[in-house]
Amino acid sequence: MSAKRRLRLIAVCVLSAISVLAVGAGIVTPYPYALQFRDLPNAAPTTMHPLGTDALGRDLLSRLLYGTRVSLLLAPAAALLSTLIAGVLGGAAGLLGGWYERFILAVTDLSMALPLLFVLIALRAMLPLDVAPLASVVATFLLLGLLGWPSSLRVVWAAARSIRNSDFLLLARASGCGRMRMILRQVLPNLRAVLLAQFWVSIPVFILTEATLSMLGVGVMEPMPSWGNLLRGLEDFSAVSANPWRIAPLLVLILVVICFQFILPSQEDLA
Amino acid sequence: MSSVKKIQWLRRLLRHVLVLVGLALLGAFLAATLVRYSPGYGVDERELDPRLSPTSVEAIRKQHRLDSNLFRYYGEYLSAAAQGDFGTSQSLQRPVFELVKERFPVTAHSVLFGVVTAWTMAFALAVIGLLFCGWIFEVSSTLLSGLLLALPSAVIALLFVHLRAPVFLAIAMVTFPKLFRFIRNLLAHAYDQPHVLAARARGIGPVRIFLCHVIPLAAPALVALVGVSISIAFGAAVPIEALCDSAGIGQLAWTAALNRDLPLVMNLTVIVTLITVACNSVAGYSAKAIARET
Repeated sequence: MSAKRRLRLIAVCVLSAISVLAVGAGIVTPYPYALQFRDLPNAAPTTMHPLGTDALGRDLLSRLLYGTRVSLLLAPAAALLSTLIAGVLGGAAGLLGGWYERFILAVTDLSMALPLLFVLIALRAMLPLDVAPLASVVATFLLLGLLGWPSSLRVVWAAARSIRNSDFLLLARASGCGRMRMILRQVLPNLRAVLLAQFWVSIPVFILTEATLSMLGVGVMEPMPSWGNLLRGLEDFSAVSANPWRIAPLLVLILVVICFQFILPSQEDLA
Repeated sequence: MSSVKKIQWLRRLLRHVLVLVGLALLGAFLAATLVRYSPGYGVDERELDPRLSPTSVEAIRKQHRLDSNLFRYYGEYLSAAAQGDFGTSQSLQRPVFELVKERFPVTAHSVLFGVVTAWTMAFALAVIGLLFCGWIFEVSSTLLSGLLLALPSAVIALLFVHLRAPVFLAIAMVTFPKLFRFIRNLLAHAYDQPHVLAARARGIGPVRIFLCHVIPLAAPALVALVGVSISIAFGAAVPIEALCDSAGIGQLAWTAALNRDLPLVMNLTVIVTLITVACNSVAGYSAKAIARET
């Protein structure tokens, strides 16, 4: 087994373990994420609270696991949405060509030139800021999914365009294959690897963007935990130096993003 | 330059300018529509001020009723914007144009220095890795960029607050890893071309190969990347300026978003979009010109 494959296997194992812990947060930790132990603010790690508590006396491990659940479940959902948009529009632009292709590519180029954070903040500002925590989670990841497609679309379009000029598609057309059948049986299987790669690439990008938005207070709202919310604890540097375990959410975030970087399909896998 | 070429050049330039004007109109229309239909539009907290007389409250309500027609609202917005009047910030009670004029130089300075620093670091590391160093340097530079890529820009901003480092360095740290990967791949691709291999086989020195064969091949894509890097830097400016307390456009956008100051946040987005699209157009245009020359 090559070193690359071994690293990928380790990354998959780490991600799976973190996902299992996050999904089973209710079993792993006995406390709800919003439960306050008012006599224990900023407590050091104990057997009751393995990662200590935050400034409001909430169990940090519970918040970390529930926050991981939010980020690890919804970032892939947003990535799926953006990949779907990229797949439909990019595939159509690549296969149909002409004015349709020019229009979609012009919109894509424009979207790629926009600083995503500016647009996200502008659109998020349109929604009321005092929404319910669950609604803020949905709004944040929905916006990410709806705005994160342009770079994926470019890649899908290039792949679809190469398929448009391929011999097998010409043969299928010549043998009277219907449009839907051609898309489902000939085009989609050939785009599958590209779409899958774009899906995996988008996940860490969305995780990091959500973290930044939530740290700025325009993402997931308290008391719902997310990695971004938990990272807000790092703003008080003196508290972090006194309670170094508060850095745990950042370490988990870095670990997860690095694992995603390792499991991204390589060029050879896509070929 | 012959007259035919001059005409072609002018046509292309005109097309780019027209695209920018069209984008400005479209952006303004979208911004006006979004502001007009956002939740809470038309609600004015001044109506709750007990010091205001019923006549004043009625005047405020009348003003909002006049704004309720989208086309009238859009027409007024556009004609005012053409005269440099982008409206008044609801939260700061100051003209948007004045705020932008005041804060834009701060962001422009940070973004410019940030992009230059990121380019210098990324290009230097990519070139050193490609020409002179072995796998240890390659692995360590990849690890560094991978680690920076795994950090949210807000965390990088916090780190720089604690280090008391300048804002442009934080922007450079966010932009660097993305640039490094692109530049390294572009240079590596150019370095693997058959004519470069032939030059190496003939014993030509690495510096000469790089300057005479690799750079001309990668130049168009590298120039196009300048535009993209400016977009990335402007995006990074929001969390970095907000957390580093730098009084630039990014911080203004953030405070406007927190106060739901929609006219301000929408106008800022349109202005930043126009700047980044203009930079991308210039970079794309230059890249095409270089590609034609080479």
